[in-house]
Amino acid sequence: MGAITLEKVTKSFGDVDVIHPLDLRIEDGEFVVFVGPSGCGKSTLLRLIAGLEDTSSGRIVIDGADATDVPPAKRGLAMVFQSYALYPHMTVRKNIAFPMRMAGLDKAEQNRRIEAAAAALNLTDYLDRRPGQLSGGQRQRVAIGRAIVREPAAFLFDEPLSNLDAALRVGMRLEISELHTRLKTTMVYVTHDQVEAMTMADKIVVLSAGRIEQVGSPLDLYREPRNLFVAGFIGSPKMNLLTGAAAAERGATTIGIRPEHIAASPDTGPWRGIVGVSEHLGSDTFFHVRIEGRDEPITVRADGEVSLHHGDTIYLTPDENRIHRFGPDGLRLA
Amino acid sequence: MATKASRTAARAMMSPSVILLLGWMLIPLALTLYFSFLRYNLLMPGGNPFVGLENYEYFFTDPAFQTAVVNTLLLVGGVLVVTVVGGILLALLLDQAMWGQGIVRILVIAPFFVMPTVSALVWKNMFMNPVNGLFAYLAQSVGLEPFDFLAHAPLASIIGIVSWQWLPFATLILLTALQSLDSEQLEAAEMDGAGPFARFRFMVLPHMARAITVVILIETIFLLSIFAEILVTTNGGPGNASTNLTYLIYAQSLLQFDVGLGSAGGVFAIILANIVAIFLMRMIGRNLDA
Repeated sequence: MGAITLEKVTKSFGDVDVIHPLDLRIEDGEFVVFVGPSGCGKSTLLRLIAGLEDTSSGRIVIDGADATDVPPAKRGLAMVFQSYALYPHMTVRKNIAFPMRMAGLDKAEQNRRIEAAAAALNLTDYLDRRPGQLSGGQRQRVAIGRAIVREPAAFLFDEPLSNLDAALRVGMRLEISELHTRLKTTMVYVTHDQVEAMTMADKIVVLSAGRIEQVGSPLDLYREPRNLFVAGFIGSPKMNLLTGAAAAERGATTIGIRPEHIAASPDTGPWRGIVGVSEHLGSDTFFHVRIEGRDEPITVRADGEVSLHHGDTIYLTPDENRIHRFGPDGLRLA
Repeated sequence: MATKASRTAARAMMSPSVILLLGWMLIPLALTLYFSFLRYNLLMPGGNPFVGLENYEYFFTDPAFQTAVVNTLLLVGGVLVVTVVGGILLALLLDQAMWGQGIVRILVIAPFFVMPTVSALVWKNMFMNPVNGLFAYLAQSVGLEPFDFLAHAPLASIIGIVSWQWLPFATLILLTALQSLDSEQLEAAEMDGAGPFARFRFMVLPHMARAITVVILIETIFLLSIFAEILVTTNGGPGNASTNLTYLIYAQSLLQFDVGLGSAGGVFAIILANIVAIFLMRMIGRNLDA
């Protein structure tokens, strides 16, 4: 009911190619996250799927039917915008009812769906308020409610959580994930936050400069990043990337090792360094360690109780099985 | 204004202008009220005896009075309809990206900078004149009888002229309102299945409601006292077909030199303006609440 296929889709604004020829298959019921830095074309890609932008070339197929030239309203997709795009002069009830009113649904059915959506999203008490009287999280839920009542083939989310404060964001993240398990509808979600991508996605699409860098499940991307870009982008804190002697002796141009795959010890280990800034999170401590002959500090995760301080000498032991090796072209070596 | 000292200073600083403005308003108002109760005709010098409501009686029973009130309201209403509807359409047009947008926008504003007497004269002599006017020429070129606008449709012609002057104002305010509409809202409506007309009806129009209210209120203030256009084109005629309240007061106090009667008319004009204001605020004032 909600399989979306992109075939050689491109988009250019004037002379600028925003999306380079791109193929992607989104299966029915999947939660797909587009993630990438600002300006990588992830929002444009979503808008192409929604039909808010025309493709420059290529085909968009929704449920087996060519939807490239179908107007947005007829594609059976619902979108949640970054600014929520609620209609400020309408009450919450009317906001949620609007797509059904446009579709000409009868009143009883409209009310049934509104009540159901409001109950699911904890909005029942706010139905007669206007968006201006709601908090950010409530507005977000109204926007989702407006999308749900259309019973769309797929939901499109355009950075829906970026206007919320950190605590609310974690809560809404869970709510959207729960919604997905309950509705089992395809969801396409755009974010620049790789934590959101890792926690919510069935499938992550990493984009950079209008190209797909890698497609895969969160753990695939974490375990086997296809290239340097994905290696640096997925994971928090970022993977340490080392060039020079350490890479050469492992037969690579660049090697990557995640902070959590380096053991820190006060007395033994192959790499010796000086502790710089240390970030204590309680459960973990992240040390930024300076190693002689390297400009970039290496980030190391240690247990929260390890007591090493600024200026102390530290010895690091990388887990050899979890070192990622990259060739001169930035691609992963087998 | 946090401290007592700064509040006192602020009041002291503001008081000259407040006193000046109050005097500016209250003294003429008080004098008008005072004159309206006197028999005060410039052609009959001598005592100006107190005559109570005699001036009001004469003013209200004047055969031109009812026509003038109706004409005033028709003029205000007509111009409002033309400028608001036309302003919305023009604003929608100007909001589209097009070549030469900057120049077109300046051209659209231009009529507002032409002074009323000049624009009325231009309309009267260059467009509406049945012999030399452009409209007469156009009518003749397709074989029609030229229409003498100011003789046969004086009020409608004046509504046309005044609308032409006020259309830019409405367009400009409505255009800025249109430009402040969040494009994501329109896109959301599009995704929700709203076609162009539904988007206009449910998104654009409610969004512009406040700006439309402002246009209506400001224009009403100025349109109630339209005078120059009437003086220059029709002199209130033929008969009193295009006489509004302002022109009637002018005719009585300055053409008949009856200051008392004119003042009574002025007081009535103030009352009429307030009645209109109350009705307007009742009807559309809630749009101004955030």
